[in-house]
Amino acid sequence: MTTPVIQLINVTKSYPLDDGTSYQALNGISLTVQQGDFVAIMGPSGSGKSTTMHILGALDTPTTGQYLFRGKDISSFSSDELAEIRNKEIGFVFQTFNLLPRTSVFKNVERPMLYARIPKNEREKRVMKALELVKLTDKVQSLSNKISGGQIQRVAIARALIMEPALILADEPTGNLDSTTSKEIMMLLHSLHEEGHTIVVITHDEDIANMAHRQIRIVDGKIVSDKGKGK
Amino acid sequence: MEFEEIVLNAITALRTNLMRTLLTMLGIVIGITSVILIVSLGQGSVAFVTNELSAFGTNYFQINPGSSALSSFAGGSKSLTLEDADAIRNDTSFTNLKSVAVFALVTAEASANDVTKTYLTYGSTADIVDMLKPTMVHGDFFTQSDDQDSERVVVLGEKASEVFFGKCANPVGEKIKIDNKTFRIVGVARSASAMVGGFMDSALFIPLNVALHEIEGNVEINEFDVSVKNPDLINDNIEYVTQLLRERHNLKSTDENDFIITSATDAITTVQTITQLLTLLITTISAISLVVGGVGVMNIMLVSVTERTREIGLLKSIGAKDKDILLQFLIEAIVMTSIGGLIGILLGVGLAFLISIFVKIPFVVSIPSVLIAVGVSMLVGVIFGLYPARRASLLSPIDALRYE
Repeated sequence: MTTPVIQLINVTKSYPLDDGTSYQALNGISLTVQQGDFVAIMGPSGSGKSTTMHILGALDTPTTGQYLFRGKDISSFSSDELAEIRNKEIGFVFQTFNLLPRTSVFKNVERPMLYARIPKNEREKRVMKALELVKLTDKVQSLSNKISGGQIQRVAIARALIMEPALILADEPTGNLDSTTSKEIMMLLHSLHEEGHTIVVITHDEDIANMAHRQIRIVDGKIVSDKGKGK
Repeated sequence: MEFEEIVLNAITALRTNLMRTLLTMLGIVIGITSVILIVSLGQGSVAFVTNELSAFGTNYFQINPGSSALSSFAGGSKSLTLEDADAIRNDTSFTNLKSVAVFALVTAEASANDVTKTYLTYGSTADIVDMLKPTMVHGDFFTQSDDQDSERVVVLGEKASEVFFGKCANPVGEKIKIDNKTFRIVGVARSASAMVGGFMDSALFIPLNVALHEIEGNVEINEFDVSVKNPDLINDNIEYVTQLLRERHNLKSTDENDFIITSATDAITTVQTITQLLTLLITTISAISLVVGGVGVMNIMLVSVTERTREIGLLKSIGAKDKDILLQFLIEAIVMTSIGGLIGILLGVGLAFLISIFVKIPFVVSIPSVLIAVGVSMLVGVIFGLYPARRASLLSPIDALRYE
């Protein structure tokens, strides 16, 4: 059996509050995501799904428990080591503020490669390939504030793919889109999954979640259901 | 991240808020402009004064009567005599001596061609021409024998000549009445230096003996101009002549000199010292405006970090390390102050050029001051950009992404 992309082992996360107490956002979450999975993590507001997403995305570290990313424990990584993981292993698609303002589509998609010090000609090739995949080659020089919401999400997906990461992490990727465009974006994620990408989508929308092959529901910082596991 | 890309990103970010960027730069622009302008004008002035004072060479010193510059100018003192000049001339120990020119000053009424005007008239020995080095527009300066024979000859300053005979006219050989006595014009002279010798253009020059004996009124010796062969020995020579004159004037050791000796080198040194002090003073004041400009840069960079918190979060989520964010904001501040510095240099040099034309001083651009200006403006960016940049770099990615 291959090493799972993600393995959370009894992860907790608590935040200190001003009154000296602490808020327990995650209450012992264990979760495994295999290479090629398409997982939706659902839950109402305050359930802990955003905290889960932050830990999965190496934006934050667990208070206790272990996070194995491709078999490597990154729970106590430094901020620079986590930045390296985010840069090379995880592609993010956010709900809003996905792109650098007043910056071209090209520059937005290229940016992660600058942090990885990839040579210029290689960068250009990869940007064009990624934009081809999301069908946006005609917008390569358009500024990020001059394209539609659906196009913004497609650019974000192109950027998420650019470093050929082990995981694509989408946080409410359709939250700001109309139903038709939402469907288009989900179809795009679906086709990426078909190509073998591992995708985790955080959503509160049942319809969107149902497009994934596995649905994990979190309530009060705990996993209450995990449907479609092993598909 | 490649340095070129960081700079390009910084320029893009600065262009996004162009008006704000320009206004923030203004403090740096004003600071650098004033430093460059002041240093350039200061050096131009020193060059001008040095040129002017050197026009007569540095191999002479002048002796004026009186114990202060004021009394020597007012002409109230009669402490210098022709015998003093002869004593210096005939001193065999003074081997470095070249010549002693003497002149006396009087105002006299001159008339020719129905024009009458009062002119400053110099009665001088012929060797004054070696010191003043005028350009002879027409004719020649009078000679030593003209002086010895008390010939009534005159050299007109160029402007004085124009008053009586019109522009471009050659009045050599013509007659002119000075103090109601008829003089023959032997030459027309143009002064060698606008500042020091400019008086020459509007003056008349007659032999000293004629001035002392034939012009009515209180004619006094105003100046000895002592030329030496080797200018390096001039300070020793000044000391020697001072002692000689003190002995001749029977001054006790407690008495002050009743004459003043100055050399061109003294004057140049004094002017340079004053100008350097003024330049330093004004540059210091201008430097304060650079600090104020720097505080403005820091303020705007802090605003920019706050406004772009979510952008910082996004960049961190796609792999930017703390040092990438630090460099991005720091380079933004440095690019802003450097561009401000460059604009300041261009403005400073441009204004210095225009002013130098207007006030007729040499246009001097000091390369070290330009290099220092570039360095200082970049340094202001580093110093005042570091704190906002560090604040940006230390933001947690989650807090930054959540920022509303």
